[in-house]
Amino acid sequence: MRMFLTILVCKLLRFIGKLIGKGSSLPGEIALKLDPNILRKLTLPKYVIAVTGSNGKTSTVEMISQILRKSGLTVAYNKEGSNQIEGVTTFLLSDSTLRGKLRSDVVLIESDERFARHTFKHFIPTHYVITNLYRDQLTRNGHPEWVYDIIGQSIHEGSRLILNADDPLVSCFGYGKEDVIYFGVDRFSESTEENTSVYNDGKYCPYCKAPMEYEYYHYNHIGNYHCESCGHRRHDTQYTVTEVNLSDGYIIIDGEHRIDLALKSIYNVYNILAAYSVARLVGIDGEKIAESISSYVLKNGRVVTFTAGEKKGTLLTSKHENSISYDQSLRVARAHPEDTTVMVIVDRVSRKYFTSETSWLWDIDFELLEHDNIKKIILAGAYASDLAGRFSYTQIDPAVITVKKQVADAVEELKKHAVGYSYVITCFSDKDKFLAQVLVD
Amino acid sequence: MKILHLYYDLMNLYGENGNMRVLSRHLEDQGFAAEVERKTVGETIEFSEYAFIYCGSGTERNQKVALEHLKEHAEGFQKAVESGIPCLFTGNSLEMLGSVIHGLDGRDHEGLSLLPFSVQEDKDTRFTGDAVFTADWLGKDFVGFINKCTDLTGLSGETLFTVKMGKGNSANDNREGFRLYNLFATYLTGPMLVKNPHFMQYLIELIGKRDNESFVYREISYPYEEDSYQVTLNALLDRIQTK
Repeated sequence: MRMFLTILVCKLLRFIGKLIGKGSSLPGEIALKLDPNILRKLTLPKYVIAVTGSNGKTSTVEMISQILRKSGLTVAYNKEGSNQIEGVTTFLLSDSTLRGKLRSDVVLIESDERFARHTFKHFIPTHYVITNLYRDQLTRNGHPEWVYDIIGQSIHEGSRLILNADDPLVSCFGYGKEDVIYFGVDRFSESTEENTSVYNDGKYCPYCKAPMEYEYYHYNHIGNYHCESCGHRRHDTQYTVTEVNLSDGYIIIDGEHRIDLALKSIYNVYNILAAYSVARLVGIDGEKIAESISSYVLKNGRVVTFTAGEKKGTLLTSKHENSISYDQSLRVARAHPEDTTVMVIVDRVSRKYFTSETSWLWDIDFELLEHDNIKKIILAGAYASDLAGRFSYTQIDPAVITVKKQVADAVEELKKHAVGYSYVITCFSDKDKFLAQVLVD
Repeated sequence: MKILHLYYDLMNLYGENGNMRVLSRHLEDQGFAAEVERKTVGETIEFSEYAFIYCGSGTERNQKVALEHLKEHAEGFQKAVESGIPCLFTGNSLEMLGSVIHGLDGRDHEGLSLLPFSVQEDKDTRFTGDAVFTADWLGKDFVGFINKCTDLTGLSGETLFTVKMGKGNSANDNREGFRLYNLFATYLTGPMLVKNPHFMQYLIELIGKRDNESFVYREISYPYEEDSYQVTLNALLDRIQTK
């Protein structure tokens, strides 16, 4: 009876919440108050898939959902990005019958890396994907090893781990576990023998702290590594991207399945591979998977094309306080084959909490913008001086750079003086300030 | 002159590289040819050779690796500090200089014992937050960010700051960091020299006068760095008010 009422209340609140445009965590919060054990009482389907890690969670989850649905399965997932326990509760109860049985064939959860340990006290995923661990929102997260320890508390017997073999820290989760699947990307034309980033978080073995050797890096600390001291090394992969061609925009998985890339970045390749691996483990045929996500354009609104006055451009949503996310966007801008304008906006560091921390700007490889094609750079927002300070330590010609503290002034500058195609790089917290002033295509 | 970026690869939580980039340029602007040397575990270090020594913050595990190495060089390091070489130890690097760190790993890690304090790491609580400190010796407020999971107790001697916003050395202490000869120690992380141009100037005067007694700091404007200090200070003072 208690379960019945709790689920009913949650559904009603969710219904009302949707009508008035409220967020999705409140109904779950109230449900957990009415019955703190409600999640344990649910009858979950055969597949409960969770995805956590620093970057790529939302995109990976969206692609898993796309593949599974194309294969005729029904999927419930928290697409509104409410990935803490309250939001997870809301979406699970929304999908549940009043007797507590989930309707969908698959439950798919994007899980916040710090909160997974609370959620998975109540139930455990059958498949648990960990994408990567980066310097991400360290004003909340502390540092990657701190997050590693916290995620460790969310892993329980009975979950099959699906790990990124190319991330030396993430692959440590596999030790002492029996049911572990690794995925990874083979060497390709853009892999480098030296680490080219501002910092190298792969320099020391995460397991024993002896210096680590790399055969090659794909980017940052992601690559093929081994430790002479303790033997920690990139594990053999069960699912593998065997060919990457970013210029022509395709990859080949396991030597036979070609997937065309809507977003030509190595980071996107990892998200696709993680989604592919999960789908294979659910029993879907490799070719079928490739068909469902070939040329797939993500619907999560992170890449937006726009027209500003006469000028065309793309906004690449990046994460403030996450240098790898920025590096990724800078690489996309740098790879543009013609004249390019780049605008970076840091107006509010986070949309969710207050901070005035800008240390992360020094970990971003803004030197990537030292390129003949990049004709103009606009630095915008309340923290434009922090950006300009950082840029003054690159070799970029100061004549190329314009600094505007008001986003509106920066947009005017772009409309009037952008050269060639524009890339706007900013975060969730700031992107709407830009998009409100241009025409979204 | 040579400046030392100590454990640049281990004690490198985020943005630490900014301090060295900015300091060496500012020293050059004052007429010094400053060369940054980066040293880490496995290397021999002659601390007395340097005009300035900097060590940033690290993960709890990396700090223990650095500490083991620093202990091998304890004597040379202590002499350098006592000789008055300006040093900056930020974040948990300062913890290496006390008597003991009670670690997350359940072990007690003996420190260099330059000062008699002890440190307790706590796996369940981490303090992360913006900070504003005051210091009479500096005149102006100091801004930055704290990211630590420790309490530091038993400190005798001079502390560096008083906390206006943020967290002190321990839960019930509004004093922050410490000073030992010309070694400045604070839990603030990241490129604090970028964000606090007045402190940068203070350090450069110290470094300059040790190099050449008649050194006089030449006023140079760094508008972006000065403004980024002001923007953050204003944001944090507003925050204190609205709380």
